[in-house]
Amino acid sequence: MASKEENNKKKWKQDFPYHKQNSDLVNRREFAKMLTFVSGGLTFGTGLVAAKANLFPKKKVVGEHLICAKSEVPIGGTRSFTLKDSDIPYILVHLENGTFRAYEQKCTHLSCSVYYEPGTGHIICPCHKGVFDANDGAVLAGPPPRKLPKLSVIERDGSIYIAAEEEKSTI
Amino acid sequence: MGTFRTNQNNANIHKLNTLISTVIVIFLLNLSLQIWLLYTALNYALEDNAQIATIAFIGSLVIFIICLGFLYYLPTGKPAENDH
Repeated sequence: MASKEENNKKKWKQDFPYHKQNSDLVNRREFAKMLTFVSGGLTFGTGLVAAKANLFPKKKVVGEHLICAKSEVPIGGTRSFTLKDSDIPYILVHLENGTFRAYEQKCTHLSCSVYYEPGTGHIICPCHKGVFDANDGAVLAGPPPRKLPKLSVIERDGSIYIAAEEEKSTI
Repeated sequence: MGTFRTNQNNANIHKLNTLISTVIVIFLLNLSLQIWLLYTALNYALEDNAQIATIAFIGSLVIFIICLGFLYYLPTGKPAENDH
């Protein structure tokens, strides 16, 4: 280890003439104050999230929307769609057991576009290998923190309609 | 002031050092809690559970007030030799 005298001769020491005794107590006080400032920032951020969630909640899907004819989506096939006055992409999946499911097409991790892997019953996010259950949107593997938001699918007169999901979704 | 405080300071020369280190550790623990609360608030708010975001905000605010309270316990530095 270099002695104090040797250190003082070094170029970095001449560029940054910093002394240990100056950084001993006072700077730790400043550090503690900075931590309090960061704490205030985190409080402010959480407050913004709470304000956004309470004052500007996500718009619910209102009423029923015609998507397509039932025959247009073969078994194992999918169809992407958006609803009027909304830019959220959705995906309609025709599962191998004959039922239809509709989900938001945005991965709950980082909003990458998900796709249905035919024959597996899995909805895959290609970005970070997130895997969702195509039957109920639950997370099976990967980083997504929440299940895929689901829409209710109504089959009537050979056509597919979607509406808002009735039950409250939980994590 | 009497000699009591001076003698105490002389007997426990690392007291201020321990005190400020403790306060900083408590701050860091508080901040970890707040980061966790922010993450939880985001996660649940995106799932339309706004009430959890509100509770997380209240928790975060309480921790911030506790942090402000702890600033009181920050030592102001070693007194000068002739400061008694």
